[in-house]
Amino acid sequence: MKQIILLILALLAASFLYGAVGCDLNDPAKDIKRFFPDHTGYKTYYRSIQRDGGKALLTKVETRLGDKFTGLFETIDVPYTIYEVFKGDKLIGYVHGVNQKGRYGGIQVFLVLSERGIITQLYFQRLSSRNGNLFKARTFTSQFAGLSVKDFDTFDIVNMKGTGKVTTIKNPAPDNDPDFAAIMRGIKKNLVLMEHFGRWGSL
Amino acid sequence: MTNINTIAYKNLRRKKIRSILTLFGIALSTWILVSLFGFNQGYEQSLNKDIDDLGFQILLTAKGCPYEAATLMLQGGAGLRYMPETVLDELAEHPEVQALTPMLMQAAFDPMSGDTGSMIAYTGVDPLTFPGMRAYLKVVQGAWFTDLYADEAVIGYEAAELEQREVGDYLLIPGHEVELKVVAILERAGTQDDGTIFVPYKALQKIFGQEGNITSVGIKVHRDVNVSGYEEKLYQLPDVQVVSMAQVKTTISNLVDTARVMVLSIAVIAVLIAMIGVMNTILMSVLERFPEIGIMKSMGASSGQIFRLIWTETVILCLIGGIVGAILALGLQVVTEGLVRYVLPYSPKGSIIRIDALLALRSIGLIVLIGLISGIYPSFRAARIRPIEAIKSGESEV
Repeated sequence: MKQIILLILALLAASFLYGAVGCDLNDPAKDIKRFFPDHTGYKTYYRSIQRDGGKALLTKVETRLGDKFTGLFETIDVPYTIYEVFKGDKLIGYVHGVNQKGRYGGIQVFLVLSERGIITQLYFQRLSSRNGNLFKARTFTSQFAGLSVKDFDTFDIVNMKGTGKVTTIKNPAPDNDPDFAAIMRGIKKNLVLMEHFGRWGSL
Repeated sequence: MTNINTIAYKNLRRKKIRSILTLFGIALSTWILVSLFGFNQGYEQSLNKDIDDLGFQILLTAKGCPYEAATLMLQGGAGLRYMPETVLDELAEHPEVQALTPMLMQAAFDPMSGDTGSMIAYTGVDPLTFPGMRAYLKVVQGAWFTDLYADEAVIGYEAAELEQREVGDYLLIPGHEVELKVVAILERAGTQDDGTIFVPYKALQKIFGQEGNITSVGIKVHRDVNVSGYEEKLYQLPDVQVVSMAQVKTTISNLVDTARVMVLSIAVIAVLIAMIGVMNTILMSVLERFPEIGIMKSMGASSGQIFRLIWTETVILCLIGGIVGAILALGLQVVTEGLVRYVLPYSPKGSIIRIDALLALRSIGLIVLIGLISGIYPSFRAARIRPIEAIKSGESEV
């Protein structure tokens, strides 16, 4: 009993460790099976902007994103979880998620990517929004299949303006719901980061 | 008296090395003594603060009601039981009670979380009493809500991180379409509070249609109250269950008692070492000065004057040694605390060695008292010296 009490007290006395939290799949084995039905295995690894290149890399990411990382939780030390998916020895794709601040809560934007970084699926593991069902609908998410970071390069996620395929994707929610802009930012952030974390990456 | 003091002082200066070594020994003993008393004082205060930081020692809930958010979510938000808010008035009349804080736990299903949705738990609290009960909950951004009826929220660090919320942002309660304004984010505490969304309990009652109901009451009892006994009294209330942290309090009290016994034991040893050291030094000095004391007596010094002379020397040594030791203890307080923390398996938060002027003065007084006691025998020996024998022994040595 004394050990338990000491443990409780130690927890109370614990200094506050501000380790940022990334975005993991809740049930990776089941989710990856769903995204890649013919896969034979996957590897999980963790990267962060701070470890990989520090402020210089952050500047590159922000420049490509067209927006600054802001707030308490969008920081340089956020660890990102990357799932590399294999069929035999062959890399067949990636799954990567990011946290994005929405109007009423966190949006966990997962992208299922080909081995060259092309979006095959968009998956919201968490989506706190008044119009969550509209954003989660297949009619909306399927529009992102086939897009890559190059398509988003011509799209300004701050002003929601640009050229190319991305501009054809419209806000499915009424009243110009700002969660649409948050989702677009989350997707672009995810793609830009994968330009660094992915094996094909050039960032 | 002045003459005796001067002679005693001069005598001590004649054997500088021995006097300095004795002073050093007394100073070290005083340092240990002051630090130990400071530890006894600081450790107890810090542990008591840890008990206070634990908040309430008793959680009174409606019978069968889950009292942790994790349990509530495991049960899919079901199984909540309520008690009327009026129970607070009844409890407030108990003399054992120091403070009370009402709580209301509620859960809402969020269909947008994961593939099948999940439960989100909300804890309704009283902003006037709850933050005081959970003193370890520190705000990293913003401030606790003050309006009991406001649709506002204070979020634990992990919940805020998951929801990416900051002060000024909004949270939506699924199914109720009520927006809560985030007014504060808490620091990470390493407890279940990190994942909690706190809302004013009156506002939560209104949102969930539970006006007049609460699910639990946190009870903080006065320090001298027998918690187990009080629990029995609480069971006389209808349809309640008591979740107790009495064992935590008892164990902490046992830790304090053990530490006190340990400190006193070491203090007694330190005192004994100091006494024997002083007695030995003064006795050696008396034996060395046998002929000299004999001459003083033959010149008219009385036994009483010789006794006072030797006793004064002892007091001077102890007084100076005590002052130096107390200064050492005060100056090296941080170092001593570091050493003690390194050795102890668990150290509470806050300063565990607290030395104040009164403690230092008391310790110096104790050291002087020890000097007075340990100086009695050497002084008595010196007072009993017969002049002729002393002078003869001096001649034979020559």
